[in-house]
Amino acid sequence: MGQGGEQFKAISPAEFFYKNKEIAGFSNPARALYQTVRELIENSLDATENYGILPTIKISLRELRQVEEGAHYEVVVEDNGIGIPPKYVPQAFAQLLFSSKYVLRQTRGMFGLGAKMAVLYAQITTGYPAEVIVAPIKSKHIYSFKLKIDIRENKPVVLSFSMTSNVSGRHGTIVRLVTLGDWSRAKQRIYEYVRRTAVIAPYAEILFRDPEGSVVLFERSISKLPPPAREVLPHPHGVDIETLKSMLQTQSVNPVAEVLVESFQGVGEVTAHRILSEAGIPSEKKAGELSDREIETLLRVMKNSKDIKPPRADHLSYLGRDIIVAGLTKIFNPEYANAITRRPSVYEGHAFIVEAGIAYGGRVPPLEEPLVLRYANKIPLLYDERSDVVYKVLERIDFKLYEVEFPAPLAIVTHICSTKVPYKGVGKEAIADVPEIEQEVESALREVLRDLRSYLLRKKREIEEVEKAVSIAKYIPEVSNALHKMYGVDPKVVSQKLLEILNSKLKTFKIDSLSDVVVE
Amino acid sequence: MTEQREFVSKVDLKARERALQILRERFYEVLKDVMNGKPPKLIIRKRTLSNTIYDSERGLLLLGEATFERSFVDLREARKFMQTMLMASMIFEALSNGEYPTIRDLYYRGKHTIRFRKLPSKTVAEENTWDEQSESDSVIRDIEVHTNVLREEMLILSKEKGKVVGEMKIRSGDDVIDLSKMGHGAYSIEPTPDLIEFIDVDADFVLVVEKDAVFQQLHRIGFWKKHKAILITSAGQPDRATRRFVRRLNEELGLPVYILSDSDPYGYYIYSVFKTGSITLSYESERLATPKARFLGVMMTDIFGSSKLGKKPYLADEERRNYIIKAKDRDIKRAKELKEYPWFKSERWQVELDEFLNRKVKLEIEALASKGLRFLSDRYIPEKIQIGDWIA
Repeated sequence: MGQGGEQFKAISPAEFFYKNKEIAGFSNPARALYQTVRELIENSLDATENYGILPTIKISLRELRQVEEGAHYEVVVEDNGIGIPPKYVPQAFAQLLFSSKYVLRQTRGMFGLGAKMAVLYAQITTGYPAEVIVAPIKSKHIYSFKLKIDIRENKPVVLSFSMTSNVSGRHGTIVRLVTLGDWSRAKQRIYEYVRRTAVIAPYAEILFRDPEGSVVLFERSISKLPPPAREVLPHPHGVDIETLKSMLQTQSVNPVAEVLVESFQGVGEVTAHRILSEAGIPSEKKAGELSDREIETLLRVMKNSKDIKPPRADHLSYLGRDIIVAGLTKIFNPEYANAITRRPSVYEGHAFIVEAGIAYGGRVPPLEEPLVLRYANKIPLLYDERSDVVYKVLERIDFKLYEVEFPAPLAIVTHICSTKVPYKGVGKEAIADVPEIEQEVESALREVLRDLRSYLLRKKREIEEVEKAVSIAKYIPEVSNALHKMYGVDPKVVSQKLLEILNSKLKTFKIDSLSDVVVE
Repeated sequence: MTEQREFVSKVDLKARERALQILRERFYEVLKDVMNGKPPKLIIRKRTLSNTIYDSERGLLLLGEATFERSFVDLREARKFMQTMLMASMIFEALSNGEYPTIRDLYYRGKHTIRFRKLPSKTVAEENTWDEQSESDSVIRDIEVHTNVLREEMLILSKEKGKVVGEMKIRSGDDVIDLSKMGHGAYSIEPTPDLIEFIDVDADFVLVVEKDAVFQQLHRIGFWKKHKAILITSAGQPDRATRRFVRRLNEELGLPVYILSDSDPYGYYIYSVFKTGSITLSYESERLATPKARFLGVMMTDIFGSSKLGKKPYLADEERRNYIIKAKDRDIKRAKELKEYPWFKSERWQVELDEFLNRKVKLEIEALASKGLRFLSDRYIPEKIQIGDWIA
């Protein structure tokens, strides 16, 4: 950036993000269009499934005019979610870094940042305001906004506002943006994203209309939702220095012991006093009065404290076997699908759960390696797959042990959910190889692969038996004929007897009639 | 058929009846199993090297008692089972119809395409009942073992290979043939030598010559007349008919049998096939081998002499140089194998084989004929017989 610290502080978050838009994935028109669609879909999913609503999401892209760098597209995303209360709409869509609560919840994104970036990018590139229409649950009215962001001040500007009567009683949110994009270069990416989202969210109905007029409907194939993600306090093992400082600052007048008890999970009064005495900090000292040195010591003691309960995992929103299998079945119609959810585990103070699913056959293309669909917190990870922890694990799995001989129609789903997913790099497309996660991914994959192995072995045995049956049955007429010539017996009677004898030796398969095998 | 029967010899008719009877009996188990809902199977003695036993007392290579089960519902045996039944029914049919098929006829007669559907794909595939004649030949051998009836007794014919001349009369079919009146030709030993009846024989011994050309030379100069011999050639590896014929001459007429072959491991082995039987067809030995057959030559010690045996060579140094041939690697290898066979373990054979391995040379009978046909017929053969220079 080449700018000094003073100047850095002077620019607003909106200005900062605009100048660094590649961090949020808006580096060029193609990438921006993909990111816009993605952020809006993820917001819609979070606004529905987290509140027990089966999502119905409509996405529509329309090209308005061509410009030098690409084209202006109208992006409309409509959901049947809870609908944000109207008073929060301006901040939610047009003010960056709006939230200040230090609670953790596993959501697809930190709500808002992505959507706000989409609004900001649209405004800058086309000049169009964002249109947001909300109908909260049981609201008597539908509220429409036209919004802009005051970039310098990082404040929402409401250009227009209107209310209509909610006659039909519907609820949800509609966002309409006009943004600069490049459909031809983003097309493959967007489709892949929507398709993969449909895999992981078979409980959603997704209708996608692209700028060329093609419409794809992903129907709902299961009406079970994953357990909603719940808010949870940070765990002492997983906190970093900046977060700790902010926590102490926001409650600066309270005694530090009280702040610890109220801000962290697993910390009661006894633990708080023990930690503080170990750190040499008086329990009654006001949170805002701790020196930097004291805060550092406190952090170190907290991180190394062994007798704190492990992080809670009950707030994590995993998918579960049924949903993963339903998703795989919907997309691939495989001959075999299975999935497992591992028990919660912990890395660096963060709870996480690994899930793995497998689809074999059906529409899965036979490839030289497994088709890997990676997800983190229900978000599809499409890029940088080779540097992902999943690939590191896959590299050391010998698929022959699991009766898989490539090319094989094998699709693998991995889902890692956590309040803090350890992404590799800013792109958020690959998960770092944290040993604990790596171990869980490997265990999960091996577990589903073992089930696949049993299935394939059973199938192999069944096929072998069918082949065996045929390779014996085809000779029956010859043998019957020979006995007929030597003993004058009716060859039909002998054939029927031989077939019965053969069938009595078969376990998984019977030949109904000799004419199934013998061609006259 | 009845009309034709008048032209067919009575011995053939009897042979047919017997073979049909046995076939029907031996395969009845299969029919019984099927009708009782049991997986049909054939229990056959194994025709493997490990189940080939040398009976040193009788001097015969025999098939051991080990058996294997050929069950129709056994994936590995189903095809062979089908082939065995197909072949049995074809032999049965040929016997009933008064035919004389060769093994090649049977191969062609039984070869046809089976069309079937693969499951679950339902694609139609084809398979031949058998592809190579080796497959149909193999089940014929299995049937011979299973029924204990040789193919000749089932009136399956093969190419005639062996020839015989001599002072003897035989009945073949309904005709009497004088084997001393064959002109320059010879009587071809029929594929069914058991159906031959010996009528009149005036001979002192039987000489079997491996090489057809040497047989002809000895025949043309009247060897058999002069030395009162029955002269036979196997024209290479002896066929079954020749072996059976030689065996009958020895067993039924008490004539000593001398074998004259090339002096190399293949020649020695031809002798041992006459004498003890062959490894691949050990089940026939009981009927085909002549345990009393004697190896007359050509011996290594005939070429080089032997100080150990106090024997002088038949060839001079210069003749040796002209007639002997350098042994090939496979000859050496074969000789080493022979040395290990129990029926070559006698001291006398070990001397010959050691000499061969030592000198690494071989000699063809033709070489002795080149030295002089008279030398072969009037000196070498009679002298060796007279002084008893043969290996029993």
